[in-house]
Formats: sequence, C-alpha cells, structure tokens
Amino acid sequence: MAAEGGIFTFAPAIAVLPFVSFLIALSAGRYMPKKGAFAGIAATGGSLLLSLLMVAQVASGHAHHMELYTWVGGEGVPFELTFGILLDQLSTLMLVIVSTIAFLVHVFSLGYMNDEGEPGLPRYYAELGLFTASMLAFVFSDNILMAFMFFELVGLCSYLLIGFWFRRSGPPSAAKKAFLVTRFGDYFFLIGVVGIFATFGTGMFGGPGVEESFPVLAEEAMSAMAAGEAMPEAVTTFFGLSPGAWFGVLGLLVLGGVMGKSAQFPFHTWLPDAMEGPTPVSALIHAATMVAAGVYLVARMYGFYALLPTLLAIIAFVGGFTALFAATMGVVKDEIKQVLAYSTISQYGYIMLGLGGGGYVAGVFHLTTHAFFKALLFLGAGSVIIAMHHNEDMWEMGGLKDRMPVTYYAFLSGSLALAGIVPFSGFWSKDEVLYETLVHGLGGSPILLGAYLMGIVAVFFTGFYTFRMVLLTFHGDPRSDLAEDPEPVRWNVKIPLAILGTLAAVVGVINLVPVHAVVGAVPEFLHDWLFHGPETLNGAHYEELTEQFAGYSAGAIPGLGGLGTLFASAGVSLAVALAGSALALGLYRGPDPAEHTEKLGALKTVLYNNYYQDEYQVWLAQDLTEGTVAGTAKRFDDGVVDGLVNRVSDVSLVSGYFLRRVQTGIVSNYAALITLGLVVLLVAFGIMGGWFGGVFA
Amino acid sequence: MTTRPRLNTGRQQVIGILAIGLFAVLSAVFLTSSFGEAAGFPGGGSITAAIGYAMFDLDAGAFPSEGFLVSFMVIAVALDAALDVAVMLGQREDEEGVAADGRGERGDR
Amino acid sequence: MAVPVQYYLVLSAAIFCIGLFGILTRRNALMFLMSVELMLNAANINFVAFSFQHGNLTGQVFSLFTMALAAAEVAVGIGIVLVLYRNFADVDVTKATTLRW
Repeated sequence: MAAEGGIFTFAPAIAVLPFVSFLIALSAGRYMPKKGAFAGIAATGGSLLLSLLMVAQVASGHAHHMELYTWVGGEGVPFELTFGILLDQLSTLMLVIVSTIAFLVHVFSLGYMNDEGEPGLPRYYAELGLFTASMLAFVFSDNILMAFMFFELVGLCSYLLIGFWFRRSGPPSAAKKAFLVTRFGDYFFLIGVVGIFATFGTGMFGGPGVEESFPVLAEEAMSAMAAGEAMPEAVTTFFGLSPGAWFGVLGLLVLGGVMGKSAQFPFHTWLPDAMEGPTPVSALIHAATMVAAGVYLVARMYGFYALLPTLLAIIAFVGGFTALFAATMGVVKDEIKQVLAYSTISQYGYIMLGLGGGGYVAGVFHLTTHAFFKALLFLGAGSVIIAMHHNEDMWEMGGLKDRMPVTYYAFLSGSLALAGIVPFSGFWSKDEVLYETLVHGLGGSPILLGAYLMGIVAVFFTGFYTFRMVLLTFHGDPRSDLAEDPEPVRWNVKIPLAILGTLAAVVGVINLVPVHAVVGAVPEFLHDWLFHGPETLNGAHYEELTEQFAGYSAGAIPGLGGLGTLFASAGVSLAVALAGSALALGLYRGPDPAEHTEKLGALKTVLYNNYYQDEYQVWLAQDLTEGTVAGTAKRFDDGVVDGLVNRVSDVSLVSGYFLRRVQTGIVSNYAALITLGLVVLLVAFGIMGGWFGGVFA
Repeated sequence: MTTRPRLNTGRQQVIGILAIGLFAVLSAVFLTSSFGEAAGFPGGGSITAAIGYAMFDLDAGAFPSEGFLVSFMVIAVALDAALDVAVMLGQREDEEGVAADGRGERGDR
Repeated sequence: MAVPVQYYLVLSAAIFCIGLFGILTRRNALMFLMSVELMLNAANINFVAFSFQHGNLTGQVFSLFTMALAAAEVAVGIGIVLVLYRNFADVDVTKATTLRW
C-alpha cells in the first residue's frame, strides 16, 4: 500500500492535523501566544497543502481508496464496519474547499476574537479544530457509517460553537435549537444507514478497489428488475416492497439527515438562530462545513439517488421551494447576519435543486462557488461588525464604503456573486443549476419545470436583498455615531477578505459552460474533472443513470436549439437578477434611504415572523406532542403500566402482611413447625420408599 | 419463682402431640425394618483401650476404628471457645458503663 | 443373645421425642437446655448401637465427642440464659420475642 500509495499515505493527516490542534488548544492553549490560534492556523494550513497535493495526485494519476481500520468484521459477521479513505475527484475538491475556508477562518479569528479580547479563546480554537477535523474526515469517508459518525461530530461541534458565548441568553438556546432540529433529521439518517447495511450488506460508496458498493448494487438490482430477472443475491428488500420502492424509502430516510443539516424546508429554522455564534464560526458553518455536509452527502451517493426519479423530483422541489421561501424572508431582515443566513438557506436550496434536477456537476459547482462567496460575505459582515462594535443592525450603518474600502470591495465582490451578476462566480454556477433543471424539465420530466420556476423567481429576491444589504451597510450617509467613526480592522481581517474576494470573483472560471459552448478552446475544468472520476463515481456514469432510470434527457426550448436554450436560460436568470438588484438600487439609493417594508402591509408581519415557521414547530413540539401525545402516553403509563405493577406489589404486600404473623418470635412455635415439617417429610419419604415394611406399598 | 412441681395441663401441652407423632412414625419405621445379625466385638480385647488409641490416631487397638486426632483438637478448641463465650456472656455489663464516663472515645456508644 | 438393634433405635427415638416434647411444651429456658441434652444423648445411643452392630469403634469414639460438644453447648446456653434473664428479668422463652418483625 505504501509503495503504491505514495503521497496518499499522508491522506489521514488531513483530518488528523486539525484534530491535533484541537488537542493542543484544549490542553495547552492558555499558555500559548494567541491562545492556540497558531496551532489551528498551522494545522489547517497543513491540511490545505496536503489537500492540494491530493488534488494534484488525483489529477495526474487516478482516484485512491484505502482501508484504515476494520472495527467489526470476521468470519461470522455478514458485513464489515470499517474506517477508510476515499480520495476521488469529488472528495479532494471538497477537501480543498473545506481546508481553505477553515484556514482563512482561523486567520480571521485572530482579528475577530483575539483582538477583541474575548475570553475562553482556547476553547474556541479547540472547538474550531475539532469542527474542521470532523468535516474533513466526513468528506473523505469511504462508507456511509463512517460518514454518519463524522456527520454527527460536525453537528456536535456546531452546537458547541454556536453556544460559544454561553453566558448570554441567546446563544445557548440557539445552540440547542440547531442541535435538536438537525438531530431530528439525523434520526432518519441513522435508520437509513441501518437500512442500507441491512439491504446491501455494505455501506461503501465505491471507488477503486472496492468490490461491493451500495450504489452499484442498487443499480444492478434495478436493472435486473427492469429486465425481469432475479435480484442480485446481495440485495434484500423489506416489507415486500419492490427494489425501487424500498430504495426510495432508504433514500428518503438519508435525505432526512441531509435536509436537517443543509437547512432545507421545513428543517431550516435552526439556521437563522445559529447567527448567535461568533461570526467566523458562522462563516465556517454556512460556507464549508455543517450546512455543506448535507448536500455533499447527496453528491457523494449520487449514484444511488440517480436511480430514483421520485427522489430526484423531491430533492429538486424541496430545493427550489427552499430557495424561494428563504429568499422572500431575507428581504425584510434588519440585521446583516440575518440576511446572510436566509441567503445561505436559499443558496443551499439551489444546490439541492441542481442535484435533483440531474445537474450533478452544476450542484457541485454551486457548492464550490457558494463556499467561497458565502465565506467571504460572512467574514465581510464580521469585519463590519468589528467596526461597528458588535452592532448588527443595518439601519445603524451606512456610509462605510469610504471608511473601510477593503471590506467594501471584497463584500461587493461576494454580493455580486451571490446575486448572480456576470462575470462573478455565482452567476456561472447558479445559471448552470437553473439551466440543467430547465433542459431536463423540457426533455421529458415536466415536473422539474415547477422547481425551475421557483428557482428563477428566487433569483429576483436574491438580487433584491443582496443589494438592499450592500446599500444599507456601505452606501448613503452614516446613520449612527458608530458608523461615523468605525473601529479600524487589521491585516488579519483584510487578508482573508482579499483572498476570498478575489476567489469569489474568479472561481467561476473552473466551469464556464456558456463560454465553452461558443469557444471550444475554453475548457470546462470542473466538468472534465468530475467526469473523469473513478468508475461508477463519475459524472458521466451519473448522467447515464439519470437518463436510464429517471428518464432525464436534455431538451430545448422549441425553436431555439441546444445552444439557444443555454443562452436563453443564462439571459433570463441574469435579467431577473439585474431586475431585482435594480429594484433595490431604486428603493434604497441616496444618502438617507427610507424603510419600505411598510408598503408590504400585512405581508410584512408574516415575513418578519418567518411565515410563523417557529410558531408552528413549537406548537407541534409543545401542544401536540407534549400536550396531547405525551399526555395520553402518561395516562396510559400511570393507569395501565404503573397500575399493573402497583397491583402486583399490593398483592405481595397484603399477603406478606398476613404471612408474617407466622413469625411470632416464640421459640416453641418454631420448634413445633420444624417438628411438623420433619414428620411430614418422614411420612412422605417413608411411603414413597416403602420404609413401613410394605404396609402402604 | 420456685414452686413445687405440678402437672402442667395448659393448652401449651397440646403441641406435644407432634413429638408423640414423630415417635410413632420413627417406631413404625424401625420395628418394620431388619438389620441382620450384629457383628459385635468378638475376642477378648479391651474396648476402652481401643477407644483411647483411636482418639490419638495410634494403630494399636484390638478393634477397627478411624483416627480422631484432628477431631480431638477441634473439639478441644471448641470447648475452650465455649468457655470464653460463657464467661463473656456472664460478665455484667455495668462495668463498662462505669469506665465509659472518663473516656472520650467511648462516648459515642 | 444380644438385643437386636431395632430396640436400641426405639429407645433412642423415645428419648429424642421426650426431649422434643419438653422443648415444645415448656417455657422455661433451663428446661430447654435439659431437653436438648436428652436429644443429644438419644443420638449417642444410636452411635453406640450401630458401633456394636458394625463391630467398629468409630461410633463409640464419636459419642465421646458428642458429649464434649454437649458440654460446650450447655456452657454457651447457660450464658445465653443469663443474658436473657438480665434483659427480660425472666427465663420464659415466650417473653423474649423482640427478634420477630
């Protein structure tokens, strides 16, 4: 393995390095300069370097899979539970994204946490290290059980970090909410993992050297059923369901975890509250780790979902609806981080839409670009928040453009990417998501057109709230003393912003689909990259699967042809984004913009209250579950279960009360009883053994 | 409460029937069984001397027996212990009560 | 001829049951001790009888040990009776009922 593996033998270090920094920060952080920050920066920097090496290795050679440890297995066990590493095109790409963002977030934390003199910094850096380590390990997991474990660790760390300021009232409850809501989804995921093991006997995602992987087995079973042959022996379905239906159930269960983590409707309510955590943490959670984990899982086992048209449609619809739903809520928010929170939900909706709409590459592409521009926006917001002495209300800001130019231009770059304005990265990826959904919708799956429609409407709102945020924060006249004289930020804030600002602007280069269509010389790097993955794990294979099993095929707008459709789609999304931005410009331009939310009338209240999502979930949890269901259960418990136990004990109590009178404490009585027993025994044995000289025998 | 002996005829006596019953059962068993001829101790050896030898595990007796040296020692110790116990139980406890007045560490009894 | 072993056994049973009768009917602790002595000696009779029956001295030697044990038992028993009297001002066993529930 070592000789063949080469640089791959160092792969585990990608996750181990941040873990070591976690240990260092935890044990020795308080004695170190900067309270353990440098350990984290060095570790994530090392992870980034190694990840880049892995990409180079995968690009020059081929994907790699290695098994690290088998913790359940052997002769008598029908399946093996292992830890292993799968380094293919998708996972190495994600490793680079995660370690880049984690590295920059660590650097930024120097400015946001250390310079502000926050207490508890060793704890902060320890949790950050563990968070990064869990996410990196999740990304290179080679089987779904290992993925689940690190998925949970990611959830735990986000709970710890959101509740970092646990002495205030808000963060602990927000942390609990995030933990509980995502855990609710994870229950389904756990059942799904067990179901996958029971069905296929393996949880492997696949990859080179893996003999059996569940997406491939599922594919074989589906083809066998389609051809009317017997199912492969390795596959067992339950409840008498056909493979298609049963796999659908499994997929839905796993999807529960995905929707909880990726904050898809109706599990999105935890994410806006998670803004209570420190801003660098928000950047890490929303750009690269926690929330990305969900959609990454879908991409990881896309070979499984691609077999099931119903699930793809569900994913697309949930994604499209979430994109629209969250975007409308973002329109009225006053705090800068709240706007970003809803934009995160909305953007992950797009990624889901892309994956569900058959655009595997498009989904991964948007995941990539979003990671960069959303991290940038959060760090930019963090910079603004430092400057504003932790006041997050946009109506108190204004005019920061001239006072913090680096932040402004970086933030603007991220905003243009978020709104989807050409040529910033978000335009290319969002356009491709919408395009893929559109062509597959036109090509025989008209149901996708509904999801597409929601996506395109959401583009309008995205443009609107993005520019409303930019205008209120940076333009116009300062609306408070704090904005008049903001606190300056240092290099450790500006450098990450500059790096990410550049990346957000140019990272779209990796997949310039419309340009490639016209000028063939411009390559589609990401497309080629993902299409040359290992067998059964590459984009080409997924395309075949969606075509064969889900009936996805590329259509075109009548009369325009393939190329025309491509440009029509891009043009429409750009036009809609520009329209939204223009509306924001029109409403909030000028030195002293007015609040226009009043014009929304009753709708404003609904939007401010987030469509009463929290209220109905609290009602579900408190009144329905706790009141009705739990009340009934309590009555049953008190009456029947406890009653039964109490009656039984009553019987023994009463009988004991009477029986104890035998114990008089008088020696003679005991002697009499012993004698009586002896006589009875003797007579009994005597009769049975014939001791009485045959008298009784 | 020394009184002259008198025949006790209270209800307590009735329970004695159990003892009589046990005697009836035992007698019935014994008298209906047969044990064969007794081996006895033939020859003119001294039984008493043989018992003495047997107690100390000496192989010089005229009749067969097992060695009892260990039992002898155990019984000796048991008798000694019984003597100690009897003395301990017989001691009057108020001697301790007098001693307890002056000592702090016994105050918690 | 020698007396058959059955008669020894009946004798022993009779003495045992007399002791038992005493235990069942008497209330005086000293009477208890005497009755127990009777029962132990009933066992001794059995030992000696079977010693003769089998032509083996073990039974006879053992009966000596039984007597020694009886002595020990009486020593402890008298001690207990003393304590009983001290605690209850009586040697009536039916009065010392504090060990029950």
